[in-house]
Amino acid sequence: MRHIETLEGHQRLSTQALLQTLETAIEEGETDFYIHASGQHDIGGPLWNRQGKKLHLFLTNPGQRVGAMALPQTEIVVQGSVPADVGWLNAGGEITILGDAGDTAGHCAAQGQIYIAGHAGARSGSLMKKDPAYPAPELWVLKSVGSFAFEFMSGGCAIVCGWDCEGPVLGQRPCVGMVEGVVYVRGKLPELGIDLQIQQLTDDDRQFLSEGIKRFLDKIGQVALWPRLTDWQNWQKIIPACQKPAARLSLRAYRQEHWISQGLFADVLPDNFQNIGLAATGVFRLRVPVWENAKTEDRNCRDCHRCELECPQKAIVRTEQEDGSAVYSALAEACIGCGLCQSICPQEVWTLRDNTELQAFSTQDPKEPSGPTREDV
Amino acid sequence: MDTVNVQDLSVNDLAWVIDYHADLCVLCGACVASCSFQAISFVSTQKLLPKQTAKSRNKGNQKIVVKQSADPTKLCCGCGICEKVCPSRAIRPIANTHSREHCLNQSQGPKRRGGRGNLAKKRTLDAIFVGRISQMTDPPLDAERHTFDLRAPLGRVLAADKLPLEVSGQSLRLKASHPPVAWIYPLIFSDMSIGALSTRAWEAIAIATAYLNEECGLPVRMCSGEGGVPQNLLTSDKLAYMILQIASGHFGWNRILRALPKMRTDPAGVLIKIGQGAKPGDGGWLAASKVSRHIQAIRGVPQTTLHSPPNHQGLYSIEESVQKMHLSLNQAFGFRVPVAIKCAASSTSVAVYNNLLRDPYQICGGFFLDGLDGGTGAANTVALNHTGHPITSKLRDCYKAATAQGLQGQIPLWVGGGIGMHGDAAADAFKLICLGANGVFVGRMLLELLGCVGNAYGRCNQCHTGKCPTGLCTQDLRLVQRLDVDRGAENIVNFVLNFDQELRKLLAPVGNSSLPVGRSDALISNDWAIAQSLDIAFAC
Repeated sequence: MRHIETLEGHQRLSTQALLQTLETAIEEGETDFYIHASGQHDIGGPLWNRQGKKLHLFLTNPGQRVGAMALPQTEIVVQGSVPADVGWLNAGGEITILGDAGDTAGHCAAQGQIYIAGHAGARSGSLMKKDPAYPAPELWVLKSVGSFAFEFMSGGCAIVCGWDCEGPVLGQRPCVGMVEGVVYVRGKLPELGIDLQIQQLTDDDRQFLSEGIKRFLDKIGQVALWPRLTDWQNWQKIIPACQKPAARLSLRAYRQEHWISQGLFADVLPDNFQNIGLAATGVFRLRVPVWENAKTEDRNCRDCHRCELECPQKAIVRTEQEDGSAVYSALAEACIGCGLCQSICPQEVWTLRDNTELQAFSTQDPKEPSGPTREDV
Repeated sequence: MDTVNVQDLSVNDLAWVIDYHADLCVLCGACVASCSFQAISFVSTQKLLPKQTAKSRNKGNQKIVVKQSADPTKLCCGCGICEKVCPSRAIRPIANTHSREHCLNQSQGPKRRGGRGNLAKKRTLDAIFVGRISQMTDPPLDAERHTFDLRAPLGRVLAADKLPLEVSGQSLRLKASHPPVAWIYPLIFSDMSIGALSTRAWEAIAIATAYLNEECGLPVRMCSGEGGVPQNLLTSDKLAYMILQIASGHFGWNRILRALPKMRTDPAGVLIKIGQGAKPGDGGWLAASKVSRHIQAIRGVPQTTLHSPPNHQGLYSIEESVQKMHLSLNQAFGFRVPVAIKCAASSTSVAVYNNLLRDPYQICGGFFLDGLDGGTGAANTVALNHTGHPITSKLRDCYKAATAQGLQGQIPLWVGGGIGMHGDAAADAFKLICLGANGVFVGRMLLELLGCVGNAYGRCNQCHTGKCPTGLCTQDLRLVQRLDVDRGAENIVNFVLNFDQELRKLLAPVGNSSLPVGRSDALISNDWAIAQSLDIAFAC
């Protein structure tokens, strides 16, 4: 056991000097440390013994980032509370805080265990992740966590035991952008985003928690709480919603189901919202061909069939009269009013006229009964 | 064959020339059938010859081709519907660089058109960048995963010490009424009237608005424009999303007033329109060809060309407009509905805003400023191309005038006129908000989203003729049926959802989770004069 004091009278060991002392001692084979710190940062990682022996660090009064980047075979116990970033980027260490933790506890932890015997601050557990090659990280908190906890979490497991808490045990906006992992919570939840779901515990969850809580309480010296913390009806788990948000209602469905029945203008201009397209037929044609046989002397149909044969829509019908003469007409349901018949007719019998059929369907007075709907025509 | 004189028009004199390939044409007739301008028609080559020659030629050589008209009443406008429907890419309009259009056809009076101004291509906003990024200075936000509060006020916002609050026990209590303020989405669908727009186009925008509110949780508001409001809307709950407009013509207002007792909800607001950025100083103009029977019914007018005067008759000063118009419209809705005013941006806008800020009645609920890149359904081309004031510096001047008096934020500034015309509506909005706007409004852009093919390079812009080939700006039911309301509304909804995400993408790097109104430190310009004028940093 190596005992390191960081204060000598009014002289404080700098963070760099302390960490270099620690490293040298480990290089010399020391594995157990008692460090009476005075706010030095980054104590506890990444450290390793060349023979693979476990390192034990017992700390008091450390600064930020205790156990940051800690490696497996590093065990850290802190007597009392720690400031921000405990277990930051934890890569396998076991870190026990016998007090509260500051903000961003366990931020980006990818392996190992962090045990906190009190509250943890804002953004705790944010960006925790799981490396598929190693066991998932765990973050255990006896009491509550601050706002924005578990933000963007993409793996691992956090357990907030809600001991001795009256209000919600997670602060505002927890688990924003969480895409993987699970957060077990005992106690009241704040409002959660729609991309999350709350589930009841399964048997596997209960087994995991039952064993884990025992281990956790043992680490923090509170085994007496075990029966109280395993009151399963107070536990829930938060996971990211696996299904994507429901597809939006189509605008057509919205119009048909939630919009003003028959549309805004039903009283003056009935509309069935149909589209006939650009080259429309029937009453929606911009122009209609009219067969004006014998309108003038030199405009006599010679019954040459050209219009009938060349019409791209096959809309022209030739009807033979009793006297053997022919009458041509264009079928409204097929004709688009292109005027090819007019251009091809050697006798200029066809005339293309503006189609005014639709003008009568709106009304000037909304109190009048409305005209026929478009379906009627 | 007729004699041709040099003064006769030919196709190459026109602004648009039809590029037609007879070898590719399958004579399906779709292009000629769908051209609402009758700019093209089928002709027989046989009939183009002098009669005598035609008779002597072999009839078997007759060819049918598509021919462009040079008749000034049937001009091709470049809309491109022919190209859209052609199955064989045999036809399309091409802008004619040798056009003599400006000196032709002078007998028809001064030219009119719709669309945007064509001359102002370089925009101030395009020389501005969001240059102040949170990089180690303060935490930026995550645009996709953080939550943002994107709301803007419509209504008179009282200073904290002017709120009629009193302490009552442990809580604060209102001891008197205060002006209504609605916190809405910072994007308003701006005023385009029924009449200027087809019933379907107007309804598609109204449906998109309601959908965004009810299905997407975005409190977007639409302004009715002044062309009447359908009875079915006035008596519906959906009226809550509509800002009713009163312009100088007061069209449809008697019917709105008669519907008051039947209204189930208040409208979202009232917007008094003094002027419009696209044609400031010019009133509304709706050609008789667009005043169809249903428009007569909705507006309560006979069939005639409808003019709105350039000013409200009876308003002779800023004070009078506040006292008379704001008071009347506030009282019409029981002082429960915010009443705002819209002006074309002008050299005089700051004086007007100052005057509104000093309004002792506290009943002006917003100052809407419309810049010269805005669109219109009909304007004299000379007004569209040569009048107006850019929006950016005018907004900035108004905001700084308010700031100098400590009154910023009390009368919300909403700005429009060309928002999104270069494709990045969210960036335009964000920059304008940083310069002091509370929100922006878009009009012309909505038409583009609905399928309008017009642009600022002279394509189409025939909104004033009643022959709109997309069914947006016409009352001709043959053309209106072309507009798919559902698809159009869907496009608007998608646009707003993207706008919303893009706005977050711009808010996140500057670290704001609410709208950065007046945060001009977020902006830089690579143009020295613009930076100086707007009082933002110059960077190069």
